Parts: sequence; structure tokens; C-alpha cells
Amino acid sequence: MLLSLKWLREFVPFEGSSQELGDRLTMLGLENEGLLRPFEQIEDLVVGHVLSCEPHPDADKLKVCKVAVDNSGLEPLNIVCGAPNVRAGLKVAVAPVGSRLPGDVKITKAKLRGVLSLGMICSERELGLSEDHSGIMELPEHFTPGTRLVDALDLDQEVLEIGITPNRGDCLSVLGLAREVALAYNLPLTMPTFELREEGDDAAAEMAVEISSPDDCPVYLGRIIDEVKIGPSAAKVRYRLVAVGLRPLSNVVDVTNYIMFELGQPLHSFDMNHLAGGKIRVQRALEGMEFVTLDSQTRKLTASDLLICDGVKPVALAGVMGGLNSEITSSSNRVFLEGAVFDPSLVRRTARRLALPSDASYRFERGVDQNNTLYALNRAAAMIAESAGGRLRPGVCGAIARPWSERRISFAVEHCNSLLGVNLSADFCRATLKGVGCRLENEADVATGWTVFSPSHRPDITLEADLIEEVGRVYGLDRIEPTLPKVSRSLQIGVEDDAYAFQLALKRWAAGVGLNEAINYSFTGQKDLDNLNLPVQGRLPIANPLSAELDVMRTEIAPGLLVTLRQNLAQGIAGVRVFELARAFTACPEAETGAVEVNRLGILLYGSRYDEFWPREQADADYQDVKGLVEHLAAYFKLGILTFENAEESHPYLLPCVKVRLNGEDVGVVGRVKPEIADIYHARKAVWYADLNVDVLARLFTARRVKFRELPQFPPVRRDITLICPATLSVQEILDKAGKVKMPLLEAVELIDVYAPKGADTRNLTFRFTFRHAQRTLKDTEVDREREKMAEFLVKNLPVTI
Amino acid sequence: MSLIEKLNSLARELEAGLDRALSLDTLEELRVEFLGRKGRLASIMSELPGVEPPERPAIGKLANEVKSRLNALFEGKKQTLEAAAQADVLKGFDPTLPGRMPWIGSLHPVTLVMDDICGIFRSLGYDVVLGPEIESDYYNFEALNIGPNHPARDMHDTLYISNNVLLRTHTSPMQIRTMQKTEPPLAVIAPGKVYRRDSDLTHTPMFHQIEGILVDRKVSMGDLRGTLQAFSQRIFGPDTRIRFRPSFFPFTEPSAEVDISCMFCAGKGQMDDGTVCRVCKGTGWLEVLGCGMVAPEVFQSVGYDPAEWSGFAFGMGVERIAMLKYGITDLRMFFENDLRFLKQIA
Repeated sequence: MLLSLKWLREFVPFEGSSQELGDRLTMLGLENEGLLRPFEQIEDLVVGHVLSCEPHPDADKLKVCKVAVDNSGLEPLNIVCGAPNVRAGLKVAVAPVGSRLPGDVKITKAKLRGVLSLGMICSERELGLSEDHSGIMELPEHFTPGTRLVDALDLDQEVLEIGITPNRGDCLSVLGLAREVALAYNLPLTMPTFELREEGDDAAAEMAVEISSPDDCPVYLGRIIDEVKIGPSAAKVRYRLVAVGLRPLSNVVDVTNYIMFELGQPLHSFDMNHLAGGKIRVQRALEGMEFVTLDSQTRKLTASDLLICDGVKPVALAGVMGGLNSEITSSSNRVFLEGAVFDPSLVRRTARRLALPSDASYRFERGVDQNNTLYALNRAAAMIAESAGGRLRPGVCGAIARPWSERRISFAVEHCNSLLGVNLSADFCRATLKGVGCRLENEADVATGWTVFSPSHRPDITLEADLIEEVGRVYGLDRIEPTLPKVSRSLQIGVEDDAYAFQLALKRWAAGVGLNEAINYSFTGQKDLDNLNLPVQGRLPIANPLSAELDVMRTEIAPGLLVTLRQNLAQGIAGVRVFELARAFTACPEAETGAVEVNRLGILLYGSRYDEFWPREQADADYQDVKGLVEHLAAYFKLGILTFENAEESHPYLLPCVKVRLNGEDVGVVGRVKPEIADIYHARKAVWYADLNVDVLARLFTARRVKFRELPQFPPVRRDITLICPATLSVQEILDKAGKVKMPLLEAVELIDVYAPKGADTRNLTFRFTFRHAQRTLKDTEVDREREKMAEFLVKNLPVTI
Repeated sequence: MSLIEKLNSLARELEAGLDRALSLDTLEELRVEFLGRKGRLASIMSELPGVEPPERPAIGKLANEVKSRLNALFEGKKQTLEAAAQADVLKGFDPTLPGRMPWIGSLHPVTLVMDDICGIFRSLGYDVVLGPEIESDYYNFEALNIGPNHPARDMHDTLYISNNVLLRTHTSPMQIRTMQKTEPPLAVIAPGKVYRRDSDLTHTPMFHQIEGILVDRKVSMGDLRGTLQAFSQRIFGPDTRIRFRPSFFPFTEPSAEVDISCMFCAGKGQMDDGTVCRVCKGTGWLEVLGCGMVAPEVFQSVGYDPAEWSGFAFGMGVERIAMLKYGITDLRMFFENDLRFLKQIA
């Protein structure tokens, strides 16, 4: 809401500065978003008096003027002017040398066809006041030369931009903000006075109003103004509209906008000659019917749209936009002026559906004071009659279909103090509520509470909490003393906290082992999911996406991390080691929201294993790196022993794709992003990826039981066996087999070396077997026997030799 | 040669030998040769029983002197050699060669700040709760007193999955979810991702919020103010002042925006050189939080009796706080995941 200080002062005698007012309004909940100086660009201009006006010696269309720009008898300025209407005796707007005009035009000393010109006489368009460029602006005779033009024209020079929260529709007007200023500074509020000069027959007899539902339209009033002459508005109205960012149109439409800004009541003007049937009907549209709004667009309507119809046809979308068939044009000479209040939800639904937001619908959506409608209508009618030279007919058409019903709210000072944490007096509360416009009953009875009736301009006040807010706001929420509350807890502490704690622990683990955390958007493009061959089934598209690149919820973390990879490769980074812990989303019709959200941990390794060139050996990250991280995770969190097995189909973008299982449960996969897919992300080297289900890990983490085991007292003895194995035999198979030997002394088996000659179909695997006896030191001979036993067993049960 | 002569010559011979000893190893060999259990001193001393008893004390005394002398010589030479060896160690040692550094991991600034904030509230006794990011219209709006045609919906540009299912536009639905399954009193915070249909210099379609709610008997706005003041001073520094400005949220009443004193200009609005502070644009204040007392309608929607219970709720944007804390100027950097950015802030 743009609030002109000058306009405000027509309602309340506020004497302070714009800064002071802005600060005070901010602390009342009406945020000052900045001061505008709408006429800043013409503040250097002055009123000039054309003393003489002679033809230019060398140009037919130019004239050479002597223009007095002060009263002190200083030498008048020599100004060359080409306007057709320039003449001696005229008071004009002068831009002297050194001043500026809108559009960053700087006025300099100039020679025009050999004649020196020391300034410029301006048209309205050059001043940004209107589109009029037919000639220079002719100022009133009584203006004093030398006066600043903005002062002489009495322009609204200071305009505060006030942010109005959705509950304060009443403050979308000068009147509403004036009420707040009056309340804050304890100033009297004066309503503008005007005179209704009525002539002719009663208008009500010419135009009947039928309202089909008082809920849709509690008030519909109209006035008829005959014999209007459409033209530009009076300068004062036009300039004021410009000051608050509106474009002046005509002496009728401008008044409706002026009154809307001033009093908060949107008005609509119809061309009375195009209203047929002698009546106005306020009713819902029929489903599917079409209507042409005054922007010439054909709108398809639904039964939730409220229409204003005349006797035969629709003429306006109530509260949203008028119809083309009845709009005021330059040839209109009779006006039907509508002042009404419509149901906020209806207006909102229509304006939203048709994407037709307007200053009027904005106000209707937020609630318009129906007890002020008649006043606003009358004031507008009087102004139109004056500015358009019309004849205002006596009588008001229409009626109040549903009178304002006061809301009855009980209020106890004690509740107020308790909720705010203050100790305000009953007097302060009483004065504040009255200042807001409330009516009080039982006001002497502080103990049992008051009955408060909220005013019609504050439909947002419906509960005691709303009244408490008013008291707090006027007292100043910033004056409330801070206290730190005791946090009451149930006996079950921290249960809900576990999920967060585990996720944080995982992230800290990941950062600790050297991964960098990325956060990508939860949505991606269908194309990105297609790129990874991810199933179409289960995807959750966004109904109104920002763009095709962000039109579906990601079903995996991978799409985001691959984009992260691409962006970093573009920066020339040689090694990327990133992780992301976030949710993946899949459709699930049975779920509460139709979606399942699973927390997943994605780890991506690419390129150089180390950032330094020395002393590490240069190599690229490989399967052992990514697998090692997953194993590290399981070991760090003491989750148990992981197993890894090939599972080609589970993640269609990975090959190899290795399923990771823990205690027989799937926890994720590790693998390499297929080269043709990696290529899409400009990755020329192997992209190693792990994807783990964090929710399963969290469950296993919570379920695990870590127990202390006695430390062994006696030393272990180790023996190595090298097996010549077919390349197709997995290490896990050998380990599994070795684990099956009945050998109480065997404590551990681990792979210590691999020798796999290129191209060979066998490889040598060296395993180390650790033996230990709990009660004594083992003898070499008995360990050698155990080793022999193991070697024989392996050779017998596996296709291996020693 | 008499024993005395033999003893006297030992030191001279050792000196000659020591001159030739260039390493600690040869020194050790010499030490064994002269002073070892079967060394030369020992062998000379083994002849002592053959000496006339009256001479023995003098020879014994001499032997002890020689022994001390030999030991001193060895120690001296040993120290010289050790010093030389140490000098050699440093000769080949370049302390400026790079270390074998493990990878340097990092947490995302959003995670860091989120954990800071959650940590502060956890220390006050709040539990952390997590909830769905795909939400129903009911939890995101309706139960929070934002009806289908409420103008406050304009404050949320919503991304929809379907008519009644959307990406949550704030973490406030967690107020409802928590109260629905918990009996009061309660105190929780709910961090998480939220979504808006908005993308420009200062908006990203996804960002992070933290919601807090406390419900108990006789909770006041002073309690809210105290909580947020303590929080702000903890996260932004002990000199931080806060300001409560009345505002509007459909689910709190009264509602307030919370400003903190600008940490870049110490709340003065201008820098020491007199220029206007660019961060707070000269106001001295930065808006960081929205808050208020839980509205009676919200209590009713979860079946709490507003006459018995009162409470407060607050919400803040994590990226906003991270930007202030680290001086990050471009919001979009948070989701570009440039490693140069990620590694910088950890």
C-alpha cells in the first residue's frame, strides 16, 4: 500500500516526519518498506512567468521567450520554446539549466538555431505527469514565479510503501492507515466532507437491484449520474493517482480508483446506457458460460463465479473485472456507479482462476467494510458529478442484503497479561480497544471480563486472542520483558530425536572420512530420471513445476549427485568425492500423502583418488575405494558384517551393480555408473557410486547391541596359504567355505594378497589364517597341523590348487 | 710390560682407536674391545691375582682411574658421533615436503547451521522431530488456520503433486503432526526442507527451515521473547539485540517478526567509515524469524483445550542464517555444490 503523507494529513493532523511515521507504523505491524519520492525527478523545477514571447529569427516553429523565474526582479531567463501554446502572460513549468527531467534528461545551456536558451518550458509528458504532449503545461494564473513546481502544484511528494499483512485489509486505504495513526498518536480522525447536489427523479425507481444470495453479496448499492462528460480528471486527482502508482484514465474511472485508495471501497462504473432491463441482478454464473471482460478477453465461467447482470445479460465479474459491454468510454454520458461488498472467497477464487488480480479484488479478498460502502459511494458520486459535470440523481439503488453483525467477544485483562507476559492496567486495555474502534460492555467489571464488540472495519478480530494482539501491538510487543521458560518434559525423553541424531552422525562420519556434503533439489527433470533408466512407475510428477528441468520428485539421490559431478568437472576438478543424505520419493497410493519418503545416502567417487600429486601414488578411485567406504561405515557404526553380491537389475544405471546386505537385509548397492550414462554428465573416467538406505541403517543401528568381549590373553599364531583359483571363483566363496571348517582354534581368515596376471583365467589368492587358544600359547607344530588341515579341506572342496 | 704400563697405554691406544671410529657401530665395537666383559681392561685385570699383594691397591686404584678415563673418552666420542648423526638426519630432511593428508571432508553449510540451531534448542530440552516433505493440504494449510481461500495462501507459492497433496511450503505442519501424537506439555524443533514455486536471485525453490513449538500451561509471549533472545545471542554473539515487530501468521496470535541487530554494523546502520551498511540497508536490523503465540484455532484443530494450554511457535530460514553467519551473498550457491564452496565452509 502506497501511503501519501499529504493525503494522510487530510484525515489526521500528523505533524512528524515520514521516517518517524514509517518507524511507528512498522512497530504497529504495518511494515515500512521504504520512502518513495514520486516527483523526485522534477523537484528542481520552478514556476515561470512568460513575460514576452517573440518569433525565433531563424525558425518558424520556435519562439524566444523571456521567462521570469523569481519575484526579486532578477534578469528573466531567455528560453527558446517550440510549443504551439506558448505565449506571453502564461505561467509555466520551467526546468532551469542544471536541473533534470524524468528519463535522466539533463538541462544544459544550449543554442537553438543561434539563440541561447537557458532552460526548458515543459509539457505534462515531459514531467511524467501525463501522456499529454500537445503543448506546454499551462499553470494557474495565481502561481508565484520562482516557487518550486512540486509545491505550487501541491503534489504528494512523500509516499511510504507499507507492507500490509493479509489480515489487515482495512489498512489498504488512506482511511485505514489514518485510523492506525490516530490510534498510535492519539490524534483525532476527520472524515472528508462533501456535498451531494442531487437533481432529477429518484434513481432507485429506475434501477432495481436483486441479490440472489446475501452471503455472496451482503451489500449492493448504486447511484446514477446523468449528463456526464468524459474527459481527463482534475489535475489534483490525476497527480495524486500518479503519486500512488496508478495511471489516470478519465474523470469517472479516476474517481473510483481515488476513492478505493482513499476509503478502501472498490467501486465500479458502468455505462448506464448499456444496462438494459432497468435492473441489476447479483447472481452466480452458469457453469461453462462465456463472458467478455473489459480487456476484451473471453472468459469461461464456472458456478463459483459471481456475476453482476443487468435485466438481460451479465455486465461484470463481481469484484474482479467489468464487462466490455458496459464499460465507460469517451462517449458515455450516463454512469451507474456501483458500491458493493462481495464474499472474499468467491472473489479470490475467480481472480485466481482467471489470473486476474486487481486492486479491487485484492481488497475484496481481504474484506471491505460494508458499513462504509454508502459513504464511499456518495463521496465518489459527488466527485464525479463535480469533475465530469454530471447531474447526480437523488436516491440510492439497491440495499443492504445482510447487515453487519457485530462479533461478541469476551476479554479479560488477566488473560491478556498472562498471554503477553506483561502487567497492563485495565485502563490501558480499555483505551486501546476503544481506540481500535471496539465497543465495550460491562467495562467496569475487570474481574469477570468485558464483552467487546469489534468494529465493522476489522473483520479479522473474532477472538479474544485477536483483542490481546491489538493491546500488545499498541503497547509494543518489543516492550515485553524476556523470560526463559522452564521446558516441561514427559518421562520419555529424546525418542523422537533418534532419527535426526543418526542422520547427523552419518553425515559427520561421511565428512570425517573425507567426503564433501552436497545438497541438491529434491526435484529433478523426468529426463534426468530417464537418463538413468529409472522406472517410470512410481515417479511423482509435480503438477505445476517451475520448469521441465524440475518437474518430478527424485526417486533416487543419484541424479542430483551426477549433476554435482558435472558442475565440478566444469570447474576442472580432478577428483570428486561427494555425498548427499536426503530423501528419495516414490508414489505409494496407500500412503497418507500418496508418497513414500526414504532417507538415502548417496556417495560418489570420481577421478583422482588423492588431491595431492605427491607423496601419494597417482591413481583414480576404483571399486575398492567405494566399497571400502561402505565397509568402513558398517564397521564404524558396529552394524555387523556386510556381504556383497552382483545384482545387475536393481539399479539400471550401474554396472557392475553390487547389492550390499547386512544381516540378510538389503541396505543398498555399490557400483559403477555405466559409461554411456556417465558420459551425459561429462564424466570420462569411472564414476563409482554407493546408495544406501538410511532408514534401514538407522533401524539396524538402534537394534544393535554392543557388548564387551574379554581381550585374549595368549598370542595368536598366523599361517598363510596361497591358492591358485579360477578367476571366476569369488573371494567370498572361499571365505564362506573356510568358515565352514570345524576348527576351534581358527580365529580369523583374511585375504592378504592377490596376484592376477593379465589375460590369465586363474589368479593367486593368499589368505592369512589366525589361530589362537584361549587358555594357552599354541605350539608351532599344532598350528602347522591346523594349516595342513585347512589347505586339504580347501583343495578338496573348491576348484583350487596350492 | 708391567700391569701399570699396560693400564697406562690403554688410554692412549683407545684415543688412537677413537680417532678412527666414524660411526656409533665402530664405537660400540671399540667399547666391547676395551671395556667389554672379555675386553682388554678385563683381561689386564685378570692378571691382578698374579701381582704381589702390597702392589695390588695401587694397581687397583690405577685400574679404576683408567676405567673412568676410558668411559669418559667413550662418552665424549659417543656424544660427538651422536651429534654428527643428528646433524646428518637434518641434512637430508626437508620439513616442507607435503604430508600424506587424508581426504578433507566437509559438511554443507546448511547442515552446519542447522546443527548449530538444533544443538542450542536440544540443550534447552527440545526434541528434534522430522516429518514428511510431501504434505497434505490439511497439514500444510487447513489445520494451521489457512482455509482454502485464505489470502495468506498468497504468502506461499505452492508446488503441488495433486489437488490435495503438495510439497510443504514451511515446516509448520510439524506443529500439527507433533501435537496430534503428543500430549502437552511439549517442546520440539523440526528442521527440514521446504519448497516454494519461486526461483530468482533471492529465492530458490527448495530451502531449509527450522520450526519450534513449546506448549505448556501459562506460556507467555515474554517466554517466547526470552527463548529467542537467548537463542539469538548464542548463535550470533552475546551482544545481539532482538526486536519484536507485530506481524501476521494465521496460526499464531499475536504474531511477530523478529529482527536481530545487524552484526555487520553492530546495529548502527552504518559502517565505521560512515557508509550505509549494505547488509541491513541502514536500518540496523535484520529480519531472521517469524513467531507468535499458538492460535486458539490451531489448538482446537489438534484437540488441545486453549483455555488450559498456551504455547509459542517460531520458524526460521536456515540459509538466511547461514548467509549472515558466513557472509555468503548469493543464495543460489547453496545448491550449486561447487566443491570450492563446500570445502571453504566447514
